[in-house]
Amino acid sequence: MTTAVDAQQPLDPVLLTIVNNSFVNICREMGVTMTRTAFSPIFNEGLDFSCVLFDRELNMIGQAEFCPAQLAASIFIVRWTVEELGIDSFEPGDVVLHNDPYRGGAHIPEHSVIRPVFYDGELWGFVANVGHLAEIGGKAVGSFAADATEVFQEGLRIPPVKLVKGDQNVMDVWRLIMANHRTPRNTWGDLNAQVGSLRVAEKRLVELLDRYGPELLTRASKELMDYSERWMRAEISAIPDGTYEFSDRMEDDGVVREPVNLKVRVTVDGDRLIVDWTGTDRQVRGPINATYGVTAGAVYNAIFHVTESNIPKNSGAYRPIDVIAPPGTVVNVQYPGPSVGGNTETHPKLADMVIGALGQVLPDKVAAAEGATCCNFLFGGTHPKTGEYFANYHLEGGGWGAKSYDDGNDATIVKNGNCRNTPVEVFETRFPLITAEYSLIEDSGGAGRMRGGLGTRRVMRIAEGAEITVSALLDRTQPEFKPWGLEQGGSGGNAAILVKRAGESEFRTFPEAFGTASASKFTNIRLVAGDEVLLDSPGGGGYGDPRERDRDAVRRDVAEGLVSPQAAREIYGLADSLGQGPRNRLEELALGARSSRMEVQR
Amino acid sequence: MSGRWEPIVMQVWDTVVTPCDCCGQVVARRQWVVDVDGEERRFCGPDCEQLYRSYVVPARAAETATG
Repeated sequence: MTTAVDAQQPLDPVLLTIVNNSFVNICREMGVTMTRTAFSPIFNEGLDFSCVLFDRELNMIGQAEFCPAQLAASIFIVRWTVEELGIDSFEPGDVVLHNDPYRGGAHIPEHSVIRPVFYDGELWGFVANVGHLAEIGGKAVGSFAADATEVFQEGLRIPPVKLVKGDQNVMDVWRLIMANHRTPRNTWGDLNAQVGSLRVAEKRLVELLDRYGPELLTRASKELMDYSERWMRAEISAIPDGTYEFSDRMEDDGVVREPVNLKVRVTVDGDRLIVDWTGTDRQVRGPINATYGVTAGAVYNAIFHVTESNIPKNSGAYRPIDVIAPPGTVVNVQYPGPSVGGNTETHPKLADMVIGALGQVLPDKVAAAEGATCCNFLFGGTHPKTGEYFANYHLEGGGWGAKSYDDGNDATIVKNGNCRNTPVEVFETRFPLITAEYSLIEDSGGAGRMRGGLGTRRVMRIAEGAEITVSALLDRTQPEFKPWGLEQGGSGGNAAILVKRAGESEFRTFPEAFGTASASKFTNIRLVAGDEVLLDSPGGGGYGDPRERDRDAVRRDVAEGLVSPQAAREIYGLADSLGQGPRNRLEELALGARSSRMEVQR
Repeated sequence: MSGRWEPIVMQVWDTVVTPCDCCGQVVARRQWVVDVDGEERRFCGPDCEQLYRSYVVPARAAETATG
């Protein structure tokens, strides 16, 4: 039975809300299906995937709380894929797969699966799932070649092809993929989890179509998009007209040890925004180039950070925003340039830059810079207990920037990721790496009236009998590339990756230990049992003058080991306490808790 | 608008996609071809031609003027 409505009147807001929430919930259920059926920790722990709904005109009509980079890229992936293949080529039960970074993808490990949804024999829309497969071949284990100079080194590139036809696997395509991945069994499980989530979405969408009918559901989708567009235009109209610029740098591209310059110009013109990246460096040799999907995603991500959070996230919300990303630059890589790090390292900086530009006129709505590196750490080898080959893609949460009204988040994955930190228990259960330390880094949050979030330290020891090949791709490891603060706020702490060989007493950089070209970006280093890797994530920038920070907040920070007594005195100006002069009750507690904590650590 | 739609024909060995001269997005199946000041430009569609004329051209001219 379907619902009857007057075709001349706008739809009831209650009905629109129900439809919008139904779309969101379908996407959430797809996500639950993924986490319960995928094989790899990157999906069932890290949540590095996104689920999305589209109408027949290829407008995105529904999404949920997934990875912002993938959500934005999906707008382009689905539209361009369907346009390229032709909408008439889709039959019921088909699933198209692709991971081509030049066709909308965020980077090559992210595989999109797209399924048409038919109702009464007519195509109504599409459901899609974008997921980061942990291993897709290429020169580096874990498919994050930090020194890649072309896409062919980054893994198996797949243009849009049918993986499933009429609900039957196209096994020739599956076999081709399996033959090119280092951990094909995981690929089999993970891709099937993605495909399975599409079936769940199709079932739920058909139930919704049964309830409301295709005409009404289409009309509701269009009205929801128009509503989002009106709301977004109203939000933009509230920003003073003008052109706002911002620049930032990355420390190197993994191949050439020179900084990479990024530049943005944001123009607010009434109820529309133009975000122009002209002036950014030409695309570089190493893999920190961003695809168009990444750059556009960073822009949308930033705009959502400074506008009302309840705007329904559909294609309507994106209409007032024009993105200009000149082809052949770091923000729009062209074939055959590498781009695997553009999504993890460049995206968060691009988003922060748009936020920084708008901060000139929206100081109370923006945050200081976040850590802005995923601290990508890749490893693989043969597990000494099972004899099976394993590979894993690990990303680490860092500190987020402080805002005018709150401290930054600690140990949180970059804002384009919205992924989760992998628990130590899962790490040690699945892989022959022992976690010797996992902690917040004292003083890594940028000082400020509001303090930046803290980065983390993870020390991993290679287990007895194991031999592991590791690669890394980080940024923000050099002192001049720290996450920036705002309004006199201090910078966040740096990222780092160091190694201590078995029998040695000190950690060293990888260039010192292995002669790699970059300290933060290297590929395929062999480590053996007893070797240790130290991985530090950066802290977020602070906001406002640290001497204006609430005194009790500083004391609590010291008590919890977030700020050192020295920084409390010298940076926050807490000169008469914590070791000097008379103490109040909170200070006594602070010092007591701190010394207990240090005792436990030893 | 003075442009024309042209199909993009890709052979099986064509693995390089065409970007829009204004925004940089991929142009998948057909492109909006326009003559701008004697130079042929390829866009996603008329909207990008409009953006090119109203924003990109003046912005580049201003950049050139200011050095």
